[in-house]
Amino acid sequence: MDKVRKRHPLVDANEPNLLEDIYQYSLPPLIRFEGPVVEYIDGKAVEFDFRDAGDRNILITDTTFRDGQQARPPYTIEQMVHIYDLMSRLSGPNGVIRQTEFFLYTKNDRETLDRCRALGHKYPECTGWIRAFKGDFRLVKEAGLKETGILTSSSDYHIFHKLKFRSRAECMDSYCEIVEAAFEAGVRPRCHLEDLTRADVDGFVFPFVDRLMEMSSEVPEELSAKIRLCDTMGFGISYPGAELPRSIPKLIYKLNRECGVPSSRLEWHGHNDFHKVHTNAGTAWLYGCDAVNTTVFGFGERTGNPPLEGAIFEYIALKGDLCGIDTMAITELADYMRSIGLPIPENYPFAGRSFNTTRAGIHADGLRRDEQIYNIFDTEKLLGRPPRVAITDKSGADGVAHWVNEFFGLKGEDRINKIKIHKLARWVIDQYDEYGRLTAISDQELEAKVKELLPDYWEKYKSH
Amino acid sequence: MATIEERVKAVTARVLKLDPEQIKPEHSFTVDLGAESVQSIELVAMFEEEFGIEMDEDAALSVETVGKAVEFIAAVCREQGVDAD
Repeated sequence: MDKVRKRHPLVDANEPNLLEDIYQYSLPPLIRFEGPVVEYIDGKAVEFDFRDAGDRNILITDTTFRDGQQARPPYTIEQMVHIYDLMSRLSGPNGVIRQTEFFLYTKNDRETLDRCRALGHKYPECTGWIRAFKGDFRLVKEAGLKETGILTSSSDYHIFHKLKFRSRAECMDSYCEIVEAAFEAGVRPRCHLEDLTRADVDGFVFPFVDRLMEMSSEVPEELSAKIRLCDTMGFGISYPGAELPRSIPKLIYKLNRECGVPSSRLEWHGHNDFHKVHTNAGTAWLYGCDAVNTTVFGFGERTGNPPLEGAIFEYIALKGDLCGIDTMAITELADYMRSIGLPIPENYPFAGRSFNTTRAGIHADGLRRDEQIYNIFDTEKLLGRPPRVAITDKSGADGVAHWVNEFFGLKGEDRINKIKIHKLARWVIDQYDEYGRLTAISDQELEAKVKELLPDYWEKYKSH
Repeated sequence: MATIEERVKAVTARVLKLDPEQIKPEHSFTVDLGAESVQSIELVAMFEEEFGIEMDEDAALSVETVGKAVEFIAAVCREQGVDAD
């Protein structure tokens, strides 16, 4: 690589440059691009301009009740209806969460679908999911759905070893037969290319999609086949220059430009086996997939799917606007999921109990001086979750003072300084230095000590 | 009546559990006298109590030595009309 040494003179300033055009605090930090990127595809340089992402009709779809349920014991009908209701609030009037899909196999599956639809929400639209068996298609027709996912596995691992087809041609004919049946019934098929990132894309996937596009050209637009790119094992790679079939940019380019599937009919479905799930979904958006398929808090088969709430904040960051999304519903969803026994790790972004809790005294000092120093965005406004400190031996007097001020709900000039809480800070330190404590101090313990050691403040702020 | 310096030394000795005779004006609270973070807070709180004054938190905590503390407290006492000597 050529040396490009360049001097960078200090730009002295007496006022801070807080980069507020990106870090507005009332929104998650905006994602901005300064120019196109280039991907070499079949030896040719192809430009992608991500600056148009904010104007494109990108959206989120959901599979909490399908893939999400494959990772856990079944939800009850009441639980699914409540989650669907919260998801609709989160989605907002513009339908940012456009669709969610349901199993159709059991009586409970069908009753859930009916009860969710009975809520009368416009979004998320309810769709189905079936295997590529003609017999299964009867379920879609009976449920009266306009769209269903159909499992059209695409790698030879599945074609030959799971589905036991004798040839790819036999497999493709079988898939196309069910797609034809969908068209005849007036139901839009969404072909789930299972295990796409481990498939022979030139030998099977692109020819199959070519044929689907030919078939779709014979039916009204609203019935034309959608394509879901299923990264079933989490093998997808976002990096420029990666090879097919793992390259997300190349997969999307070829399906979009060569096979002619419009962006509006492309959807990315990822898995988190290699910790790439959210970035891969965002990459799919940028390279031309309009929809990314998610689950609430990423619950899904094995390591899970793109987290819905992660996609929500990515969406806002790309659009630069809330777009009608009610982000507070994320906190309600988290509380509800915990209440029905689904664990959310303490440090899980946006929803874990401690996602914006600091344990370091020096960070607490930063929070005391200016909340924005150590908080990612206005988490109180967007999630109802102000930044917090957890009190340990590392919290220092700053941490204790921050806790006390949050506890009393004091802001600005009303905040109590750390000199005034020195007795409480001493009590905290003694728990560790004198009594050998090894655990964090709970809110309940601190509350009792505030009452005992800061009686004047208690009287002033808590006695009414 | 004890001087400001004597009273500062007495408070410092009590909080840091030291012999007041060994505390000198040039001593740094942290480096020489070993004040830990929370003890610095306690020192400021005890000075406020001893002299009946209110000190600015950041300014008070930035005082490094016993002698500077005497000067700082004397100035605050003057500002707040407290007769400290």
